[in-house]
Amino acid sequence: MSSISLSGHKLPLQGVRILDIAVVWAGPYATQLLAEWGAEIIRIESIQHFQATTRGQVVRPTKEMASMRGGMGGFPNRDPGARPWNRGPSFNHHARNKRSMTVDLTKPEGQEVFDELVRKSDGLIENNVPVSMERVGVTWERVSKVNPKFVMLRMPAFGLDGPYKNYRTFGSHMAANVGHYSVMGYRGEDAAITGNTLVADAAGGAGGALAFASGLRYARKNEKGIFIEIASAENFATYLGDFMVDFTMNGTLPVLEGNRHRVLAPQGTYPCSGEDRWLTISVTGDDEWRALCRAMDRDDLARDPRFASHDGRRENHDILDGEITAWTAGQEAAEAMILLQAAGVAAGVVMNEADAFADPHLVDRGFWEALEHPEVEGGPRLHTGSLWKAERTPRKHWRAAPRLGEDNQYVYKELLGFSDEKYREFESDGHIGMDYDPSMP
Amino acid sequence: MTEPTMIMPLDDVRVLDLTHLAAGPFCTRILGDYGADVIKIERRETGDPSRGLPPFYKDEPGTERSGLFMFLNTNKRSVTLDLKSDRGRELILELARGADVVVESFAPGTMDALGLGYEALKAANPRLVLTSISNYGKTGPYRDYLGMDINLYGMGGNMIGAGDFDHEPVKTAGRMVNYHAGYVAALATSLSLTSVELDGQSEQLDISVFETATHSIDGRLGRLMGYEHNGHLSSRPTRAAAVASGAHPCKDGYFLITGGARFLPNIIRMIGMEELLEQPEYATPAARANPDLIDEFLAYLIPWTLDRTKAELRVEAEKHGVLGGPLNTIEDLLNDESFVAREYFQEIDHPTTGPVEYPGYHFVLHRPDGEDGAEIPMPKRQRAPLLGEHTDEVLSGALGLSVGEIERLRADRVI
Repeated sequence: MSSISLSGHKLPLQGVRILDIAVVWAGPYATQLLAEWGAEIIRIESIQHFQATTRGQVVRPTKEMASMRGGMGGFPNRDPGARPWNRGPSFNHHARNKRSMTVDLTKPEGQEVFDELVRKSDGLIENNVPVSMERVGVTWERVSKVNPKFVMLRMPAFGLDGPYKNYRTFGSHMAANVGHYSVMGYRGEDAAITGNTLVADAAGGAGGALAFASGLRYARKNEKGIFIEIASAENFATYLGDFMVDFTMNGTLPVLEGNRHRVLAPQGTYPCSGEDRWLTISVTGDDEWRALCRAMDRDDLARDPRFASHDGRRENHDILDGEITAWTAGQEAAEAMILLQAAGVAAGVVMNEADAFADPHLVDRGFWEALEHPEVEGGPRLHTGSLWKAERTPRKHWRAAPRLGEDNQYVYKELLGFSDEKYREFESDGHIGMDYDPSMP
Repeated sequence: MTEPTMIMPLDDVRVLDLTHLAAGPFCTRILGDYGADVIKIERRETGDPSRGLPPFYKDEPGTERSGLFMFLNTNKRSVTLDLKSDRGRELILELARGADVVVESFAPGTMDALGLGYEALKAANPRLVLTSISNYGKTGPYRDYLGMDINLYGMGGNMIGAGDFDHEPVKTAGRMVNYHAGYVAALATSLSLTSVELDGQSEQLDISVFETATHSIDGRLGRLMGYEHNGHLSSRPTRAAAVASGAHPCKDGYFLITGGARFLPNIIRMIGMEELLEQPEYATPAARANPDLIDEFLAYLIPWTLDRTKAELRVEAEKHGVLGGPLNTIEDLLNDESFVAREYFQEIDHPTTGPVEYPGYHFVLHRPDGEDGAEIPMPKRQRAPLLGEHTDEVLSGALGLSVGEIERLRADRVI
């Protein structure tokens, strides 16, 4: 099974089976996107090995740990429950539409199961540091021998060779490495308070999915497999391409500009009434500036020659920020957005999660989809829907995230054809299960 | 365009590119990277508005001087054409007939108004993929809203959680939200080419930058589900959100570390204070989750980081499995050991700038298409086109127009 097509048309990846040894977020986001468009994704997991930050930080967090700010939150009703690994928010979001099986790849019979899976699948995606995959023998040399038409995508943060190959990082550290925080941050402030962004992982997800789709296309055209490599940090570095080129052609380095624009002014994030409520405004031209002044009932600003051009407004940005704040502080954020957009000014609410789920535009476009998870009490929860709309192949989610080992029966018996007896043997040998070893912290 | 040995996944695909500014050109740039023949249609005289945006070579504006344009438009051919003229519209339909994909990033409704809507394009080519990228999508109450990167990040991304608790939410760099939407559009286009190949019917894609951000550009995904699980609303972190977490000062800048109860032991080992792990306050994950440890531990950690450079800290972090990274500048990146050793950057020559380094490929296909299955390297990129550089070549090559016909189009100011 995979995502469900709502028209008679096949989803583009229907019938494509992909093995998934992806961890944390970048790799899982890639397989999430491929699952969305019809691929059958089989997560290969282990009940002996717990990869921190994939199904949670630790195997069995206490209730106290789950309720701390910045800690291990996000559990339903702040309760880790009996099997916390089936209740984590990130995992339960990105693993929807996927299957989960367990196997111990450190044992010889686990290796045989892996080969059988490779024989029955079209490809594999993983984003571990290379040493982890080498340890369990998951290499291109091996899978391409087992299945010559196989597509293998590896997405370690800094690539499969070079001096950083076994350097473990999250998206936030890749962002630090490639210079994102030399552009993103507050004007005139200490870099230590800079944001901690995960765009590198989102870029890795989109890129990983595209890389795999490209590999499939290559494999079909040439009737042979292919090995693809994304170094996630390199993939993300392109999102800073214009700053890179400014340096290589001019020797110019960016300075921290906060929310200001390089050319246009004013642009910023302004406080609105209520707690932690904000509105972004970007004035894209002189007409838009006058429209903003009219909306704020401040024709005096529109007439002020200091503010007649972008250059003038940039020079006096601090003054304008004060004037705009004086107006927004008394406004309700969503009402101000509607008012300014009607006047032709680019403005948007800085949406928290409640705003997003209630947003009339996203609701109108049917963006949210409800899914019920067997270990999340209290009924179905809303998920983001399709990443894009395809006119003749609308789709919907198939199911919520799989519990650890939920699809062992399907994979071992239906897909690989093992007998009931053999299945029980795998079970007693520690390959198959739905619980991590009780000794794990 | 493609040498016969260069087997690339999209080298049988022609893309008619009607996009401008950031998101659309980022999409077609990637399609071009992986083999597609991209024909970029530009406005006569001024071209893509990004030609008028900085950074400019030597900071002097000019049609062929924008680094933004040069970065976003490698591997494309430029044709200037007046879309609003009848003959221009006909030429677009003729080009669409020979293309596999049309990508456009006009405001919703513009293509229909130009007589180039999905129905018209489909009539010209029933096997076409039409990829439309817009700020908010083709339908819905915000359809005609304006949206700059900052607005779209604020609405869709995790801006509410980006930055510092005592400050306003802060945006990501440059045009990142638009670039990401372009990347998603390239993925959508690539998958829909498969759909068309499956059953020979056209497809129309509606990509909303707002939705690609919500789906999510920046850790939004887990936070949305967290809210669904227990109603928690995100905000920006305080400076010391978890034990050892933060950007800590070092000899030559800052080094970002992810700490917290789970990851602290490796950090403790890194700074050579293993004995702490013997103490009950540090022995278990539950104990280490105690917020009272935050200040106490920083007093151990910061003197240690202050004694070392970013590069030294990176090596130590790797050695001990500590999740961390140096707060680099763009200059640091250009000199980064790994990026340089892996030959990531690509030198591209341009008549204005001469040879200059550009970001490299997003991903590398290890293609075994050399002799005896040897791997052949990824091809070199073509520099961004000069305005209208390929008008004659495309009109004669792709459409078979004669020199006389092309001259007349030029005299009529269609091209």
